[in-house]
Amino acid sequence: MSENKFQQAELANLLGVIERLAGDLSLAEEPARFAAALEDGAPDAGRVAPGAGSPR
Amino acid sequence: MPDFPSLAAVAASIRQGTVSPVEVARHHLDRVARLDVRLRAFITVDAERALAAARRLEDEAGRGRWRGALHGVPVAFKDLCFIRGLPTSCGTRTAEYFTADQDCTAATRLLAAGAVCLGKLNMTELAMGALGDNPHHGHARNPWAVEHCTGGSSSGSGVAVAAGLALGAIGTDTGGSIRLPAAACGITGLKPTYGRVSRAGAMPLSWSNDHLGPMARTALDCALMLRAMAGPDPLDATAGSHPVTDYVAALEAPVRGLRVGVPQNFFFQGLDAEMEAGVRGAVATLAAVGAHVAEIRLPDPQVLNDITGLISRSESSALHARVLRERPQELDAFTRARLELGLGVPAYDYLQALRLRARLARAFTREVWSEVDVLAVPVIPEPAPPLRAALEGPLEERIARQGRFSRLTRPFNGLGLPALSLPCGFSAAGLPLAFQLVGRPFDEATVLRLGHAYQRATDWHTREPDLG
Repeated sequence: MSENKFQQAELANLLGVIERLAGDLSLAEEPARFAAALEDGAPDAGRVAPGAGSPR
Repeated sequence: MPDFPSLAAVAASIRQGTVSPVEVARHHLDRVARLDVRLRAFITVDAERALAAARRLEDEAGRGRWRGALHGVPVAFKDLCFIRGLPTSCGTRTAEYFTADQDCTAATRLLAAGAVCLGKLNMTELAMGALGDNPHHGHARNPWAVEHCTGGSSSGSGVAVAAGLALGAIGTDTGGSIRLPAAACGITGLKPTYGRVSRAGAMPLSWSNDHLGPMARTALDCALMLRAMAGPDPLDATAGSHPVTDYVAALEAPVRGLRVGVPQNFFFQGLDAEMEAGVRGAVATLAAVGAHVAEIRLPDPQVLNDITGLISRSESSALHARVLRERPQELDAFTRARLELGLGVPAYDYLQALRLRARLARAFTREVWSEVDVLAVPVIPEPAPPLRAALEGPLEERIARQGRFSRLTRPFNGLGLPALSLPCGFSAAGLPLAFQLVGRPFDEATVLRLGHAYQRATDWHTREPDLG
């Protein structure tokens, strides 16, 4: 496969992943929710303390 | 002075007065002069200013004034950290490729804690590339086998620490660029949580995926460096205000009961047999020191790789469009091809990828961190391959090869999670094996603590390459 065709195939694959997954994104799902996800996932966010033996 | 001391040991010796900052700086500069012609870890050696700084620190220590925990410790910075008075090539042919209004915040914080800057370190061009080659400054050489790859993009950072040329280094990690060279060179490297360490004053490759972090011999060394580097920064809006833990003090907490997840899917598929044995051996050691090990199924990491890759390609092309447009002939064919790919990503797809990333990060928190505290996974799919074999073949093969080498690290850039690479053995050919511990967001303390416990139970991190 030539370099150009390889690049086109790689790009098509990446765009295909977006096409497959983005269809059911809700209007509330903005990029800024990534930072919120990090904050919410932090161990002191009131969920589970590391090593605390939380319910399995 | 031993050739391969840890950063922590040297810092303690300086504090006790058994060795001086000038002696330590001279020792390392002598090693650089003797060994770096062959290893190519440095792009710029700043010997004169390093010795001047060491003399100042020695004088201050004599008067009982200590700047911080790194007083007199020689370190070096990846050549994309802007430091006034030194060129910042970013691995390109252009000596002054990147400038900033202010010195790199992470580097400045290490120097404020007493570290001595020996110079700027080799890297792959524009921090692209997973294997560590550089056609402009010479390929960095793996201290364990100089004909083998170092891993990249922070190739010089991996080599400098592994070869005992510096006690610590700053690396950056957009798809694995701290952990890949740490793994290939047999040292310890931490990609912190996204936003844990300021990116200000460091060349951006992908603002959504870029992380700065410490590379050193041990988890304790990384904890010492991270404690100095971490925290909010008015110069970087993405540097989070999440409280900075005392990562060094936290190392002493027990690890008994920590839940370690070993993925059933993706991470062990197609893995080299020696690497798999090394990683599974490391997991057995974690169990032996008191962790509860359990298998877990992760949300598809390949989707994370694809989305992270699309975002990185898109942002890096926007950031580095000028060199691509005006001086494409200066770029290596690999770099040029990667930047050209990003130009083809429609805005619609880039924005959807950012939205999906947020969704996947939330799903990962919900599904994984409710079950385990830490993940243990391989870093590289095989020991560092021969450099010649890595560079041969048509461009599309080179691109595919680099993608395969970073497939186990990229998911955690997209998720922004802290990931610590630790040495866990050697192949029959004498090349380092490695695994990574991945933790909750902003929970560097736990991955460092478990890594420290692992290194107390093993001695892989103390092995020394034969450099003649």
